[in-house]
Amino acid sequence: MTEDEYDYEALGLVAGLEIHQQLDTATKLFCQCPTELREPEEATRQFTRYLHPTRSELGELDDAAVEESKVDREFTYLAYDSTCLVEEDDEPPHRLDEEALETTLEVAQLMDMHPVDQANVMRKIVVDGSNTSGFQRSTLIATGGSIETSEGAVGIEDLLLEEESAQRVEETDDGVTYSLDRLGIPLVEIGTSPDIRSPEQALEAAERIGMLLRSTGKVKRGLGTIRQDVNVSIEEGARVEIKGVQSLDDIDDIVRNEVRRQAKLVEIVTELDDRDASVGDSQDVTDVFANTDSGVIGGALSSGGSVTAVPLYGFDGIVGREIAPDRRLGTEFSDHAKRHGAGGIFHTDELPAYGVTPEEVAALRDAVGAGEQDAVAIVAADTDVAESAIEAVASRAQTALEGVPEETRGANDDGTTRYLRPLPGAARMYPETDVPPVEPDPSDVPEPELLTEKVERYQEEYGLGAGLANQVAYGKYMPVFEDVVADGIDPTLAATTLESTLTELRRDDVPVGKLSQRHLEEVFELAEGGELPNEGIPDLLTVLAKEPEQSAEDAAEEAGLGSAGEDEVREAITEVVERNEKQVESEGMQAFSGLMGECMGALRGKADGDLVSEVLREEIQKRA
Amino acid sequence: MNPGDRIRVDSDDRTYEGVLLPSSTDDHLVVKLEGGYNVGIDRDGSEIDVLAENVYEIDGAQDDESDESTVEFDDDLPTISLISTGGTIASTVDYRTGAVTAQFDAEDVLRAVPDLAGRANYRGRVVANILSENMEPPIWQELARAVRDEIQAGADGVVVMHGTDTMQYSASALSFMLETTVPIVFTGSQRSADRPSSDNVMNAVSAVEAAKSDCAEVLVCMHASESDTTCALHRGTRVRKNHTSRRDAFETVGGEPLGTVDYGNENVSFRRNYQKRDAVDLELTSELETDVELVKFTPGMDPAFLDIAEGSAGLIIEGTGLGHVHTDLIPKIEELIDDGTTVVMTSQCLEGRVCDRVYDTGRDLLDAGVLEGEDTLPGTAKVKLMWALENSGDVEEAMGTSLAGEIQDRSTPWE
Repeated sequence: MTEDEYDYEALGLVAGLEIHQQLDTATKLFCQCPTELREPEEATRQFTRYLHPTRSELGELDDAAVEESKVDREFTYLAYDSTCLVEEDDEPPHRLDEEALETTLEVAQLMDMHPVDQANVMRKIVVDGSNTSGFQRSTLIATGGSIETSEGAVGIEDLLLEEESAQRVEETDDGVTYSLDRLGIPLVEIGTSPDIRSPEQALEAAERIGMLLRSTGKVKRGLGTIRQDVNVSIEEGARVEIKGVQSLDDIDDIVRNEVRRQAKLVEIVTELDDRDASVGDSQDVTDVFANTDSGVIGGALSSGGSVTAVPLYGFDGIVGREIAPDRRLGTEFSDHAKRHGAGGIFHTDELPAYGVTPEEVAALRDAVGAGEQDAVAIVAADTDVAESAIEAVASRAQTALEGVPEETRGANDDGTTRYLRPLPGAARMYPETDVPPVEPDPSDVPEPELLTEKVERYQEEYGLGAGLANQVAYGKYMPVFEDVVADGIDPTLAATTLESTLTELRRDDVPVGKLSQRHLEEVFELAEGGELPNEGIPDLLTVLAKEPEQSAEDAAEEAGLGSAGEDEVREAITEVVERNEKQVESEGMQAFSGLMGECMGALRGKADGDLVSEVLREEIQKRA
Repeated sequence: MNPGDRIRVDSDDRTYEGVLLPSSTDDHLVVKLEGGYNVGIDRDGSEIDVLAENVYEIDGAQDDESDESTVEFDDDLPTISLISTGGTIASTVDYRTGAVTAQFDAEDVLRAVPDLAGRANYRGRVVANILSENMEPPIWQELARAVRDEIQAGADGVVVMHGTDTMQYSASALSFMLETTVPIVFTGSQRSADRPSSDNVMNAVSAVEAAKSDCAEVLVCMHASESDTTCALHRGTRVRKNHTSRRDAFETVGGEPLGTVDYGNENVSFRRNYQKRDAVDLELTSELETDVELVKFTPGMDPAFLDIAEGSAGLIIEGTGLGHVHTDLIPKIEELIDDGTTVVMTSQCLEGRVCDRVYDTGRDLLDAGVLEGEDTLPGTAKVKLMWALENSGDVEEAMGTSLAGEIQDRSTPWE
């Protein structure tokens, strides 16, 4: 049976989305640092910290935080000349950034949401080191909205304004290195109601929300600036939160795979129940592998480690059962073992293999009292790790007897998911006492024009073709386009430059990412003022991208890209025509198109095409 | 309707359901929603239903601990006395103001910092439960008595948990009041204990390790850098909080810290000589003359400002440069001295020694009877003068002599 055959309605699929989108504000959410990303090599300082979980103000500890902190890890942070003591958790946060709040209220309006009367900044405990403080500051700004999809409305439950976490740079056995440049960039989180009933609707809702966000013109663009989390459950399954779906296009696959995984797990419950399966006690089986040829096991033992095993009565053939593309029930067990520091597990459904002999498998079964109908899972690692990892495997196997566990999973690149941690609870929320509550005032927030509306207006008002209008509206440079057109730049020139020219330059490896709005505006001004022929725009942009500290005017002058006067143009063209005298005499006006290219080349973008064409025509006529 | 009740609020076209929190004001109800978010709702136009009463015991939340650790006494471990005065290291959220306040006793500290377990046998004691900006000389005296009592009762070291704002003053006060046979280590935290990143764990652990060392002096133990790697041990009379918020705000002025505690291997080491355990007899001299002021001279200062010190027992001036004030103030200062006030000059440069023999203004001040405070920090000088006026036969001599490491005879800031 393939996943396409699942009847989602019959299975009782319920899905919801959480969309995280970075905002393109001038400063971070709680300090005056810029929201720009840096390369780790540019770091100017670094420091190390530890984190310890704390109780909420209601005295509760969060399961997810406790599990995370079981491993005592050292965190290293890279700081830059563009970060300050607030990111380092060595200065209290400043007040909530107003620009970010305004943008969030715009988003609220686009989704028909109701802003709260008084927004209270909260601390969401996160002790994986991605926040120097050990919590993420998060504020509920609005509730109760909805968006439309072709399969019906999807409720928007809440809109949060949060700070982005620090970027993970490197992970070693001892700890993790994070980069502080991203920490504190404003982020909106949009949570839908569990109204989504099909994988396709999940994708459509995510696309719709993405469009609404980009309509504000104040969101960051590019890889990693938007992240989707998907919550999925089927009736007999459980709520599973899937984190970090990087690409929008993967959403429907993720939902399909999760439905399949849960359905398979439910099937497994029935089957295990029929077999009267159970999980035995874990034990040390190091002796079984004393003379093993298995590299993995031998390696662990030679450095003083142990092998631990858990008998899984009635599980034969089921641990190796595929529950998602290329992922078996055993992979789930393995995920849990990894969380406790083990490299993974071996189980009898896949053995003998990996250097483990049939004799060793038989001895293993003997040692733990497992028969033909049973399976055994083993972990080879340092003794502490092997002991706690096999317990985690046993506990996950126990859950397999009961059903689908509620948990947080991480999205893999291939559309499958892996276990991350238990679901976080309300117990991780604590008021942020360092930031006073704010009262959002939605009254003077402008309602932004939707991208879908922009596409129509660009066609009607500016005469852009449908394709180009679409590209501009949904493209990264939409805000630049709107600004320069408002300043009187020709819309067609602006649109083709921003969409076609920049794309071509990017293909030619010109670092167009270095071009700021200022660069683009200056180039358009030169072009509009007649100081730069349109043909010179690509060359000028290339120069500016390579030397971004220059002004467009200086760069044009230096590169000789100013508009050539008519005399200069005529001189250059005469030269070309004279060089090709024979061709002109024999072909007449037929030679025009061939020579036009040569003339443009000779003028290297310094002259306007219309002028060149006019002069060339005259010169040919003179001689023909 | 009371805090802790589960309520439903209908306001315009919105409905919120959650637990009512005590941080509500006259204008706003503050409700904790299902997901843990708090939200403020205008009371005006809100309709409230109480769904269930007392879902949470708000006030008792922190005390309601069943897994209270009953720590067993281990003969092989030293006994460390933990004395709490309040402050960030032992604080949680105050629902009345929404800010952080002190609510913990020493046992809570053990619970809050499980890493302390197994290092020592602990005695817990609360002397005060105040924010350190509310510290007052009578509490210094109470604290000194408590420390003395703890040492007499067999403590092998004392750790004082103190708010960071005025820690240096309290540490100075105990430095002068106590001849100690064991380490007395002040510690606190710059980031409150309610956050996972709090510096309280490392500072408390390091302070306990320092209290187990053989340095029988009053020390301040706080982060040496912004990293969780090393704590610095500062002499109580030479230390100053030099940053509002950084973990490594405390610095030894005029030199390197006396010692360090390595958080990785828990090694306590010292750079210079110090007083060893049991080198002196335990002695408490806690009397203080509290009628002492500290005034910082700045350009444009109204001479009438000095009138306030009239009749005072002592006055510390934080002068400019080598120890100067506007020449016009000198006659007034002379008047005060003639009237019986002890006036001691210190410098707002903080680094370096007062020398009133270099310029005319200085010489005039000395002629007026002003005492040079050497390189004593202004705050330390105030505490010292309070103590010296009560306990020393010759105040002039006392203020020019190092009694507890507050004056360095040689200016060697690189040591």
